[in-house]
Amino acid sequence: MNNLDPRTKLIIVLVLSSLGIIYSNVAILLFLLIVATVTATICKSNLKSVVFKIRKLIYTLILIALFQSLLTNKGNPIITIGSVNLLTDYGILRSLEFILRMGIIIVSAAIITTSSSREIIQGLIQWKVPYEIAFMVSIAIRFLPILRDEMTDMLIALQLRGIDFKKIKMKEKINIYKYILVPITTNSIMKAKELAAAMEMRGFRAYQSRTSYMVLKMGIRDYLVIASSIAFGIFFITFQKVYTL
Amino acid sequence: MKDKIIIDKISFSYINHNKEVKVFDKFSLILNNGEVTFLTGKNGSGKTTLTKLIMGIIKPTSGSIKLFGSDTSDMTLGQIGQIIGYVFQYPERQLFAPSVMEQLIFPLTFKGVSKEEAVEKAEEMIKLFQLTKVRNSYPYFLSYGEKRRLALASVLMSNPKYLILDEPTTSLDKERILVLSEVLNSLKAKKIGMLIVSHNNDFIKSHGDRIIELGGDL
Repeated sequence: MNNLDPRTKLIIVLVLSSLGIIYSNVAILLFLLIVATVTATICKSNLKSVVFKIRKLIYTLILIALFQSLLTNKGNPIITIGSVNLLTDYGILRSLEFILRMGIIIVSAAIITTSSSREIIQGLIQWKVPYEIAFMVSIAIRFLPILRDEMTDMLIALQLRGIDFKKIKMKEKINIYKYILVPITTNSIMKAKELAAAMEMRGFRAYQSRTSYMVLKMGIRDYLVIASSIAFGIFFITFQKVYTL
Repeated sequence: MKDKIIIDKISFSYINHNKEVKVFDKFSLILNNGEVTFLTGKNGSGKTTLTKLIMGIIKPTSGSIKLFGSDTSDMTLGQIGQIIGYVFQYPERQLFAPSVMEQLIFPLTFKGVSKEEAVEKAEEMIKLFQLTKVRNSYPYFLSYGEKRRLALASVLMSNPKYLILDEPTTSLDKERILVLSEVLNSLKAKKIGMLIVSHNNDFIKSHGDRIIELGGDL
């Protein structure tokens, strides 16, 4: 399944994440997360590696959920301090919804990672997305890891100049990050300028039409998966409406 | 043991396209302080990886590295950086300040050195490495040779006990290589040891007390 056309995978992701955003019911969201996980596993997505890569984001998500739960006043109180409801059952449900929704988006997005960025861009181009926009997306995807490496290298270089991050105060730490963010932003702008010059030199946008070395072709399996995904989405929404009525 | 860098039976591998690539397998080496050791070998033989392992940037999967008696596994990057000065293969990645002058003095001020003292030292470095014309420039706009000289000047600001230089002569013209040679000679006279990754045979011949050639492919 991981050799499906990237456009097919995009539709699967679109259907699953849209359903995840439409519904605010813990049971439905849990069901959608299971469907997304099963689909990602069938598509041979490396879910372990995705979770590892976003491990720091997971802590932030849990923290947001915790705050959301603490700051929701509705529902039956579970923990109260004086007249303030610190934790309510409604608050817990809302934070659970948030975590499940984010889980659906992350897991379904993992499906698309089984295609290379070049294939995804080609898919967008063949969907008649303007080449400039598709190319911008591809550059952004390619530049993110470079930016991350640059930031890591600068932090390492700073520490290797004898600055012990564990020993310095928070105020000084913020000062250091301020020092790093300025050159990283400037370097990125300079790199973008250099890239733009290199692209112009190679005749980018010199002609109105372009030919592409890579041409994607959808097979019967792709059409079947797209049809099943859309049918699943429509069925799910209809079934939910009937069930709610 | 207190004046040596001891690399004891280290192993290191990484994953490339789901395949494990072994770079070092129980590799051992002793580097003496006060001695200039050159590391050569074809591209991908693990020269830069070895320097990064010594600096604690990457960790060996097994074995130990002791810097003048202290195990790197028990040290922070900050502690290692106070003992060893490291110039990256791509020096632009270690330039983070908005001007050449700030690049030189910034970490010292964090370590409690007075600004006057740091500026005085920076002036010496600026003169020594011929960076006077660009002292107020943004490091990104410097030429590659200037960036390399600035990176070296920056690490020397902290008076390291040992130096690791990854291809220091790249992008330097003959005149600047001579300046670098003089600096290295004066450091050697102060008994500061060095590990230098280089492919420049003349440079190796004129400074090398010891030459190590790494073999194998990554």
